[in-house]
Amino acid sequence: MENFASLLAGFQVALAPENIGVCLLGAVLGLVVGAMPGIGSLAGCALLLPLTYKFNPTTAIIMLGALYYANMYGGSFSAILLNIPGDSPAITTALDGYPMARKGRPGQALMTANLASFIGGTIGILILTLTASGLATIGLMFGYAEMTIILLIAMTSISWLIGENPIKGIVITMLGILVASIGMDTLSGAPRYEFGNMYLLGGIPFTPFIIGCVGFAQVIKLINEREADEKKRSSEDSKQKLSIKDSMLTGHDFKRMLPPTLRSGTIGTFVGVLPGSGATTGSMVGYAIQKKFKSEEPMGTGAIEGIASSEAANNAAAAGAFAPLLALGIPGSGTGAVLLGGLMMWGLNPGPLLFDTNPEFCWGLISSMYVANIFTLLVAILVIPFLIKILSVPVKYMIPIITCVCIVGAFSTSNSMYGVIVMFVSGIVGYLLDKNGFPTAPMLLAFVLAPMLEENMRKAFIASRGSLAIFTDSPLKLVLLAVFLVLVLTPTVKAIRKKMGAGKKTRV
Amino acid sequence: MKKFLALTLASLMLLTLAACGGKTDSGSDSGSGSGSGGDSGTFTPSKTVTWTCTSSAGGGSDIFSRKISEIMTNEGLVNGQTIVVSNETDGAGEIGRNKIATMKAGDADYNLLTFNSGDLMPMVQNTKNRAANFRILAIMAVDKQLLFSCPSSDSKTDYAKAGGDQTDFAAAIEAAKNGTFVVIGGSKGDDITTYNKLLAEVGLDDTQMSYITYDSTSDAITAALGGNVDFVISKPAAASQYVESGDLTPVLALSTERYAGNLADAPTLSEIGDYEDVEVPVWRGVAGPASMSDSAVAFWSDALGKVAGTEAWHKEYLETNQLLDQYMDTASATTYVTEYEADYMAENGIS
Repeated sequence: MENFASLLAGFQVALAPENIGVCLLGAVLGLVVGAMPGIGSLAGCALLLPLTYKFNPTTAIIMLGALYYANMYGGSFSAILLNIPGDSPAITTALDGYPMARKGRPGQALMTANLASFIGGTIGILILTLTASGLATIGLMFGYAEMTIILLIAMTSISWLIGENPIKGIVITMLGILVASIGMDTLSGAPRYEFGNMYLLGGIPFTPFIIGCVGFAQVIKLINEREADEKKRSSEDSKQKLSIKDSMLTGHDFKRMLPPTLRSGTIGTFVGVLPGSGATTGSMVGYAIQKKFKSEEPMGTGAIEGIASSEAANNAAAAGAFAPLLALGIPGSGTGAVLLGGLMMWGLNPGPLLFDTNPEFCWGLISSMYVANIFTLLVAILVIPFLIKILSVPVKYMIPIITCVCIVGAFSTSNSMYGVIVMFVSGIVGYLLDKNGFPTAPMLLAFVLAPMLEENMRKAFIASRGSLAIFTDSPLKLVLLAVFLVLVLTPTVKAIRKKMGAGKKTRV
Repeated sequence: MKKFLALTLASLMLLTLAACGGKTDSGSDSGSGSGSGGDSGTFTPSKTVTWTCTSSAGGGSDIFSRKISEIMTNEGLVNGQTIVVSNETDGAGEIGRNKIATMKAGDADYNLLTFNSGDLMPMVQNTKNRAANFRILAIMAVDKQLLFSCPSSDSKTDYAKAGGDQTDFAAAIEAAKNGTFVVIGGSKGDDITTYNKLLAEVGLDDTQMSYITYDSTSDAITAALGGNVDFVISKPAAASQYVESGDLTPVLALSTERYAGNLADAPTLSEIGDYEDVEVPVWRGVAGPASMSDSAVAFWSDALGKVAGTEAWHKEYLETNQLLDQYMDTASATTYVTEYEADYMAENGIS
C-alpha cells in the first residue's frame, strides 16, 4: 500500500500542466519516430537526449519515458501496413500483422496492436508499481547460464519463420549469425572479419542493416510490382473507406486477443526486467510461447493472437525495463542505457538509493507512464484512419517516400553515410535473397539474438571453467531448460506420434 | 491524405535537421581557410567549433565533452562561437578518431576530440593510428580504480560456493593458488590493463583468476550484485552509490595510497602481502588534428586550462564524478600520453 501512496504523490507530479504537456509531446513524437522504419526508441531517445539537458530532470524523464513508451506502439504501424518493422521488437508483429492487413483487415490489425500494447503496457506498469525494487532483485537472480537458456528459447522462434524450405532457412539463419559476428569480439576485443577495414571494426550497425533488409528490399519489390499495382488500381474503382468504427474489433476478436495479451504481458514484464534483454527479446519470447497455445488461424498467416502476443509482450517489457533502471541504476536495454546517461547529465545519481533520495522523480516517472499509456492509446486509435490511407497511396509515390525514410533512418544511427551504405547494400542483398526463396526474417532474428547468446554463453563457460554443469545446477535453470526442451521437442514428438498413428492405421 | 503527407514530410524534415545538426558546419566551413587564426600571431575562433566524441550520447565521454563545451561557452572562452558536440561511433570510434587525425589544416583549428586512455588502447591495438597523429591539447582529469565485491549476493561462483571471503582479496589470492577459481569482472580498455597488471603482480594466471569483460562498468557492477563475479573493477564514481547503500564493499585500492571517505577501508596491494602497489591511471584528455596550427594549439590548451580552473568544473564535474584534478597543458600532456602509449605497446607486444 505504501507503494500506492507514493504513486498518488507521483500523480501530483505527473499531472502538473508542463508534465502533461511534455508527456503528450513525447507520446506523439514517439509514435512518429516509432512508425519510421529504423528509428527506434534507442535512436529516438539518443537524438532527443541532448535537448533535455536543460530541463528539470523529472520533466525530462517523463518526456523521454513517454517517447520510449509510444515507440512500442508506433513500431507496429509500418510493420502491419508495409511489412517494414518500425523497430526491432516489431519484427514479430509483422509476421501476423502484415498478412492480416493483406486479408483486408488492416484496421482490426492496427486496433489489435494498439489494444494489446495498452493492456500489455498496463500489466507491466502495474507490476512495476507493486514490486518496484523487488522486481529488480528478481532480475539479478538471472546469471549468464539462465540468460543463455532464455535466449535459446527466444531463438526457437526462428524455426517458425524458416518457411517451406528448411535448408534455405538454416542457411539464412547462419548468414545472420555470421554478419552479427563481424566487428570486435565483445569479450576479448579481438577484431573479427574486419578485413583491415576500420568501419567493419565496429561491426555491422543494427539499425541500418534491418532497415535495408526489410525496408529498402521492400522498395525494390514495390518497383517491380508497380505496373501490376497500377492496373489493379484502375480496375478497382470503389476505394474502400475505413473509419475508426470499421476498425473496431468484434467481441469474438476481442475474446481471441485477450488470453495471449494477458499471458504475453506478464511474460514480457519479466523478460524486460532481466539485465541486457529489452523489448526485442520480450516480443520474441512472447511470440514463441504463444506458438504453443491454440490460435484460431495458424500463426504467421494473420492471426490476431500473433499480433497480440508480440505487441503485449514488447510494451510490457518496455515498462519492466524501468525496474532495474530505477531501483538499481542498471540499464535493462540499450535505450535504458541512454536514459541512464540522461539521469547523470541531469545531475541525478542513478543507483540503489535513487528511490530514497529522489522519490518524486521515480514515482513521477512511474505515474507518468500510466498517463503516457492512455495518451498514446488515444492518439494511436485516432490515427488509424489516416494510417490506413497509406495503403491507398499509389506505389509510385510510396517508393520515393519510403526510400527517403530509409535513408534518414540509416543516417541518423551514427550521423554518417556509413549507415546509409550498409542500408543500401543489405537492401539489395535482402531483395535478392527474398527473390530466391530465402526468407529474411530468420536472418534478422539471428542477427539480434546471436551476439547476446554468444556473450552470455561464453561468460557462463568462463565462470564455470568450461563445465556444462553450470546450466543444470539450480532449480530455476532446470525449469527454464525444461521449457526450452518442450518447445524444441514437441514438433518432433508430434511428428513421431503422427507417424506411429499412421503406421497403425495402415497395418490394421 | 494531404494532411497526412504534410505531416509525414514535416516530421521527416524535422528528423533530417536533427540528424544533420552536428554536420552542417563542417560542410560550410571548408574553403574559408584558417580565418583569423593562421600560423603566426594569436588564434581566436571565428566560426563554429566541432567537438568529436567517439562514444554515444549519455556516456562518460559524452558528459565530459558537453560539460567542457558548456563551461567554455558560459565563461566566454571561445569568442562567442558555438561548440557542437558530434557523437561519432562508427567503427567503435576509430572512424571519428581517424577523421580528426587526417584532417586538413584550416579546418583543423576548429576541431577538437575527446581522447581518453580508454580510446587510446583499442586504437593502438587495432589500427595504425598513434598518439603522434594528434596534437594532445590537455589532460583534464585522472581517475583510478578499486576492486569491489558484493558479499551479500547469491553464491554463483566457485570461490563463493567454496565459502571464500569476498571481502578479503589476500584470501582470494591464496584460494586461487590452491585451485579455487576466482572471477573478476570489469569494463573494456582500462580495466583489462589493470587486471593484467594485478595478475602479473600476484603471480597468478588467467586459469586461476579469470576476467570477464563487460560493455560498461555498470554492467559489471550488475554482475557483481547478482553474484556472477567475485570482484569487480570500478572507478570510485560508478560504485559510490552502491557502497553507500551497503551493496558493494571496497576490497582493494588499485592505487599507491588509500582513498578517503567511505572507500578508506580498502587497503592497497602492498598492505595485504609482499607485493608492489598496482596503479593504472585512467586519464581523460582533449586532442586536436595533427595539422592544427601552433597558435590554435596554444589557444585551446590555454582555454582548457581556464576551464580546469573554474568553480563549475570542480563542482559539477570533478566532484560529481570523484575525479582527481590533474590539468596538464599541451606540452606535459603530450609527454605523458607518449610515455603511456609506449608503456602500453611494450606490455602488449605491439610494435
